Amino acid sequence: MDGLRPSRRQVLRASLIGGIAVYLAPLGGRAYAALFGDGGLSRPAWNSRDSTLKYRIDGISKVTGEKVFARDIRARDMPHWPQQQGHALVLRVTKADRPYAGFDLSLLDPDLTPDRVVTAADLARDRLVFPAFYGDDMLLPEGQIPAYLGQAVAILIYKDFVRFRFAKYKLQFNNTIVRYNEPGAPLERDPWGSSRFVRVAGPDPAAEDVFSPVKQGSISPTYRNHQPVWPEPARDGEVGPQGMYFANAIAQELAEPPPDWLVLRRDYATQSGDTAALEPDNANGWYDRDREELHLVVASQSPQEIAENAASMLAASKIGLKRLFLHPCFTVGYGSKDHYNTPYYGLVAAIYGDGVPIRLANDRFEQFQTSLKRHQFDMHYAMAVDRKTGVMQTFQAEIIANGGGRANCSVDLTMAGATQAQSIYYFPKSDIAATAIASRAVDCGAARGFGAVETITATELMVDEIASELGLDPIEFRLRNVMKTGMRTTQGAIPDGISRAEAVLQRAQAHPLWTQRPARKFAYQAAHPGKYYGVGFAACHRRFGIGLEASFAKVELAPDGTISLAHTAAEIGTGTSSAQAVACGRWLGRPADLVELAVTDWPELPVETSAGSLNVDESEQNRLAANPRWTPNLATASSGSNSSYYFTHTTRAAARLVFQHGLWPAALAIWGKSSNSSAPSIDSARWSDGALTAPDMKGLDVRELAAHAHASGFVTGATVHAFNRWRWAEADFEIDGRTERLPLDGLSLRNGEGGYTVLDRRNVFYPSPRSMDAMVSTYTITAALAELTVDAATGQVALLNHHNIVECGNLLVPELVSGQIQGGAATGIGLALSEYLPLYEEGPGDGTWNFNRYVLPRGNDVAVWTQTADVLPPLSEDEPPKSMAEAAGIPITAAIVNAIAHAIEHRFRTLPVTPDKILAVLG
Amino acid sequence: MSLPTRPLTLTINGTQHGPIDVPEGMMMIDVLHEMLGLTGSRFGCGQGICHACVVIWDRDERHSETVPTCITGADFFDGKRIRTIEGIAQRDQKGEVTALSPVQQAFLDQFSFQCGYCTPGFVNAATVLIERLGRAPIARQDVEATVAAALESHICRCTGYVRYYAAVRDLILATPGLTRDSV
Repeated sequence: MDGLRPSRRQVLRASLIGGIAVYLAPLGGRAYAALFGDGGLSRPAWNSRDSTLKYRIDGISKVTGEKVFARDIRARDMPHWPQQQGHALVLRVTKADRPYAGFDLSLLDPDLTPDRVVTAADLARDRLVFPAFYGDDMLLPEGQIPAYLGQAVAILIYKDFVRFRFAKYKLQFNNTIVRYNEPGAPLERDPWGSSRFVRVAGPDPAAEDVFSPVKQGSISPTYRNHQPVWPEPARDGEVGPQGMYFANAIAQELAEPPPDWLVLRRDYATQSGDTAALEPDNANGWYDRDREELHLVVASQSPQEIAENAASMLAASKIGLKRLFLHPCFTVGYGSKDHYNTPYYGLVAAIYGDGVPIRLANDRFEQFQTSLKRHQFDMHYAMAVDRKTGVMQTFQAEIIANGGGRANCSVDLTMAGATQAQSIYYFPKSDIAATAIASRAVDCGAARGFGAVETITATELMVDEIASELGLDPIEFRLRNVMKTGMRTTQGAIPDGISRAEAVLQRAQAHPLWTQRPARKFAYQAAHPGKYYGVGFAACHRRFGIGLEASFAKVELAPDGTISLAHTAAEIGTGTSSAQAVACGRWLGRPADLVELAVTDWPELPVETSAGSLNVDESEQNRLAANPRWTPNLATASSGSNSSYYFTHTTRAAARLVFQHGLWPAALAIWGKSSNSSAPSIDSARWSDGALTAPDMKGLDVRELAAHAHASGFVTGATVHAFNRWRWAEADFEIDGRTERLPLDGLSLRNGEGGYTVLDRRNVFYPSPRSMDAMVSTYTITAALAELTVDAATGQVALLNHHNIVECGNLLVPELVSGQIQGGAATGIGLALSEYLPLYEEGPGDGTWNFNRYVLPRGNDVAVWTQTADVLPPLSEDEPPKSMAEAAGIPITAAIVNAIAHAIEHRFRTLPVTPDKILAVLG
Repeated sequence: MSLPTRPLTLTINGTQHGPIDVPEGMMMIDVLHEMLGLTGSRFGCGQGICHACVVIWDRDERHSETVPTCITGADFFDGKRIRTIEGIAQRDQKGEVTALSPVQQAFLDQFSFQCGYCTPGFVNAATVLIERLGRAPIARQDVEATVAAALESHICRCTGYVRYYAAVRDLILATPGLTRDSV
């Protein structure tokens, strides 16, 4: 072990956070290969004739079992680490209704005594505290009631594996280790947050609203006895009282509706769940006390967040640290590895490793006990419809999401669910109140669907029931109420682009599963006594992005034509690396040859942000934006819903600049048209079989163009930063003596073989912070038909077939889109039929849950041979790709429950619909 | 340390390992990961349910089967021959992959996986199936049911199984000698 040599350090680049230099360390050697791409990513295999990717670029490493996950990495894989690998396990409470009173390790044989035990006292002494986002008490002090089940109380460190392994055998599942005082009551806390979204439309769907969140604002409560108390209504009051005036009017109208209205009130509940990401949470770290360096291998969807928070956490501590080396790896999380606390426990374990690298890696029981969970939702809906026309009038909802013991993203997720609850339907009036409550349940996070799967499922079940009450075909009823282009959401916002919800419904309506539904039901049940047959339908609109999307991208062209891409995006299994490589092809003729993801340091473009900059008002934003290097947000975490659209934006913007100011002038020069009035228009340029062409011009290979661009000092590299708050920030940049307005807020360019030059923006136009009130403006529309049978004797549901309809713009990699649809559907099937976690004492916080109790869909549960999908063609070749990974998993859940209703004429409103519930209905 | 140990000798991917002193009661996955550096057999559940950790046990020239290493003690493998995911592709002397197996290639071509954590288990299960069909072909109309039975125990959380199943089905149907016309 020789540590990082100074010469090697010089090639690393750092960002300084709290006085600590934070490095994304391209270490070289085996660890580099495993972590950063040499071994993990191959050059893309590209079919130039039809512009398709032969296989995902991380494919070979994954199919051959290479070390690509953080979980695979040991100290021996890190060239400069000590070879000895230590291990840590965390003691956790399994009760949260009584004070914690210490722990007793006396049952361990002396051989199995930990080498180091870390408790709250150690952390207090060394001033190591969680980043504020993660709440208090990283390790619970004695005498306190745990905030939630599974809260950590101590970290046991072993400097070898065998003693760790056998100590864990002794300690795990043993309820005598952690001690408690007399039972009391769980902590009671105010909700993590509440908001209310009231809208009263103008005279038509596109007219100015009378009241709406976008026009006036959303409503915030105070809290009394841990319950939200909404403002007293006042017609001419402030936003809160005024909004409550309209909310009360809506409630009164629902209580005493016009005679032609049908008002349906129903309660729905969805379950707590586990994302079941197959790579359990883990971290591996080495604290080099002599050099005051910390090296941390992490599995994370948001490495930027770890870089910032870990450095800040250490800077505020008494731990001496000058440098933090962070090594993010390929991972998978479905939201559970986005802003999660395992990296920080791994960091602390490393600090107390006494110079030995320490690995903290959950087994599956621990994963169930600690990983971020899906929020449990209770939803009380009321919907009013005009019986004569079948047109929806009013939507009223009270939504309560159980956020568990820590706030995490519960407020954002709950509000995202609330503001998408309308699904694809237009309501002239709506009142949606949403609360994310605190409880002793295991922490919840950004599980796949981000609140929308719960609220939209409830809506889709209710819509089906109303259609039945009205005697209407469920899809026909939906068509009468579908949101059309220009209509306003329950926020009062008009979504971007052309709505294709109607087209999606029409496709479903014409599908044989739907048109033949009565005949098939009759025929199947006649042929299969004891089986009930049903077909159900549901649709959804799923927002993509969070309204604060930001990313960096760098695209470079080497003299030999090699295209390299660096991006802040992380690969979380969805194929981001492949898709972003392909995104370069639009401008550069083929995908990037080299891809580096999860990049956190950007010396080519030194953009900065400031604390709280996402929450400033417009005047403060304008003041901050006067600094041409300032941005509201540096980078957002990778999720299934932001890669295709938001991350592709920066990739393509950078590639376009290299093309426009590098390859194109090179082409003109080679064609002898540089200063020629007959020069072809840049708009006429096309890539064909890997060559750049224009009318009457010979095709040019990218290698020839790249060599010329380098030799001539044209642009050969572009590093860009972009920010989106439901609209892209724009700025003016001077390039080659001309001012261009670009959908970017930061830009630097490289000419020829030179270094990067930052082009400070001249004017910048950031979307107003008020635009966050829209909550949503970019949607993907999906729908699903489910065909199933119910066994009268067992209550078992068998999915015979399902058909998914998706509109998601231009596809980057069609095979990845198809896989996302199929995978999303499997997730939705699990939510509909089997996946379930109790919230509290019998739930995963007790450390005994695993896949034997949490039932995931298998291949034979998902109609693996029969399922189909229909992706609508894009509206134009310029329509951007839309993120759809999460959208595909939403409608199938409600479609299945609606199909069960069709089969057995009973409407379930609580998920999952298990055989015992069905048998209880069937008698 | 006073934990009792047993010597373990076995052949992994054609190479003999051992004797290694392995504590009694240690699971095979821990030996693979912590002692031998073979982390491709992924830990998923520790209950033998998800099958991400399975290796191929070559009982003899005609019989191979997958074994979950997370619930199987290391001593079970003493004297046995196994293949892990690291040994499925052909590699050169430096350990670099020179040729994927037909199953691996099929999974790659069909974009069968996303995160890839479950992939080694699927590769091994499909490999055993393909080898078995090479010795005992099945009727073409039985292929889908046979594939479903062979892969049913494996959990995939990303791609919803379709592309794994289809890749194996198509490989079987395209490989001479694995199927026969129905009788």
